[in-house]
Amino acid sequence: MSRFFVLTLNGLTQGAIYAAMALALVLIWRATKVINFAQGAMAMFTTYLALFAIDHGAPYWLGFVIALLSGLLLGAFVERVIVRPVESAPPLNVVILTLGLLLFFEAIAPMAFGGQIRSFPPAFSIVGLHLGGSQVAFSPFDAFTLGSVLAVMILLLVLFQKTNLGLRMRASAFNPEVSRLLGIRVGRMLTLGWALASLVGALAGVLIAPTFLLYPTFMDQVLVYGFTGAVLGGLDSAMGAVIGGLLMGFALSYVGGYFGSDLETVGALVILIAVLMVRPRGLFSLQRLREV
Amino acid sequence: MLEVVDLTVAYGPVMALHGVSLTVADSSITTVLGANGAGKTTLLRTISGLVRPRSGSVRLDGRDITRLAPEEIARLGVAHVPQGQAVLAELTVDENLRLGGLWRRDPNGQRRALAEAYELFPPLASRRHLAAFSLSGGERQMLIIGRALVARSQVLLLDEPSLGLARLVLVQIMARIKTLVAERGLTVLLIEQNAKSALSVADQAMVLHLGKVVAQGAAHQLLTEEGLRHAYLGF
Repeated sequence: MSRFFVLTLNGLTQGAIYAAMALALVLIWRATKVINFAQGAMAMFTTYLALFAIDHGAPYWLGFVIALLSGLLLGAFVERVIVRPVESAPPLNVVILTLGLLLFFEAIAPMAFGGQIRSFPPAFSIVGLHLGGSQVAFSPFDAFTLGSVLAVMILLLVLFQKTNLGLRMRASAFNPEVSRLLGIRVGRMLTLGWALASLVGALAGVLIAPTFLLYPTFMDQVLVYGFTGAVLGGLDSAMGAVIGGLLMGFALSYVGGYFGSDLETVGALVILIAVLMVRPRGLFSLQRLREV
Repeated sequence: MLEVVDLTVAYGPVMALHGVSLTVADSSITTVLGANGAGKTTLLRTISGLVRPRSGSVRLDGRDITRLAPEEIARLGVAHVPQGQAVLAELTVDENLRLGGLWRRDPNGQRRALAEAYELFPPLASRRHLAAFSLSGGERQMLIIGRALVARSQVLLLDEPSLGLARLVLVQIMARIKTLVAERGLTVLLIEQNAKSALSVADQAMVLHLGKVVAQGAAHQLLTEEGLRHAYLGF
């Protein structure tokens, strides 16, 4: 099997996870114009919670559900209790607050769960499938990763585009003041937006943990790649975030495969700079349209 | 009935409203006139909860709504149509209109109200699935007024609805509003630059000057007061 094909499959799976992280960042950016730098650390924490449950005899699927549910609750809690009080402060304050949260979660995780590197069980085998007699670099767990990211994205798309709740959430994100005049409880929509974003982040956490291994800073890299993907996509477009995340997955896989994995991070930076030089607003930003 | 009692609003050290009182009876139109900076928009923003007054109160049917959040005031049936860029540009025309009445959770009434809005503004009907940023200024104005009508609110606060609208469309809108006032007991508080046309549709009128009430009374009476017209209304 050609090397290119292997790297492409690998990039697709990794890209799906970066896409989930990018989507989580974009959901919060659209609603509150804040980059939640704690998104990765929150996902790390919820992944530890899942592992804690599994350590204590829970089946994998219960751990999976615990990760997603605790992500949902953690997102709502962070918005209500920590971000809300500084909502009207300058945006930089909130950004610094999320950086503080990142440090906080990475500091308490070793205290709560121990600092050593842990392995995280996959839902399905991570051994490549046998197709037509030869083994391919695509495992049942990779299929599960792709499928669950796709499922969450379709559910979010339906929520935002087809339901009244989604309409309220979009209106609140675009113009909070007008939305309030229309009787929309914007505060609740923001809480829900943060909750959904951290659910998507938590999903990225449990999906990547089996390949990355689990330690308190294991999501930092995913956050950086997801953030780069989100910026590539234009930050305010959910579809752009997904495509940006996938592009990051492919690009990093090729860079790692052909030039050595030490160059992956440099590769991410080069891609970011190159795209921003050609299209400063990202590939799929809506702002350009609005100015016409 | 909408009552404003001794309302004082300040932006930092700058007084925007100074002891303003006003009663708008059910099923009537009251217009607030005055030059730019007189405090007209501040008055509407304070009634709808966007601005917190320093003192005084706002009452809706005897209930004090002064300290309520804007979304709760909207849910009590006060629709504020702000000036200018109040369309949700990224959403479609249809989504904008639907948002007006979502809080009522009454899908059937909602459907009827949407149909009425499209009937009143045919240009919106032909663009219902386009994003609102593709609309012209006049169409945007139709959209935000239509959205307020879909809310079927009891009180309508209109901030310069004539802005960017063709004369004919404005006449149509005012006729529609007058019908709602007569048939459904709608209560309207209207801000207009064009004092003459506002006085011709209103029952009651109030003139603001630098945040203070300088005249108040029946609209037809104010129309005949020569000195007032020259000093504050510019016609």
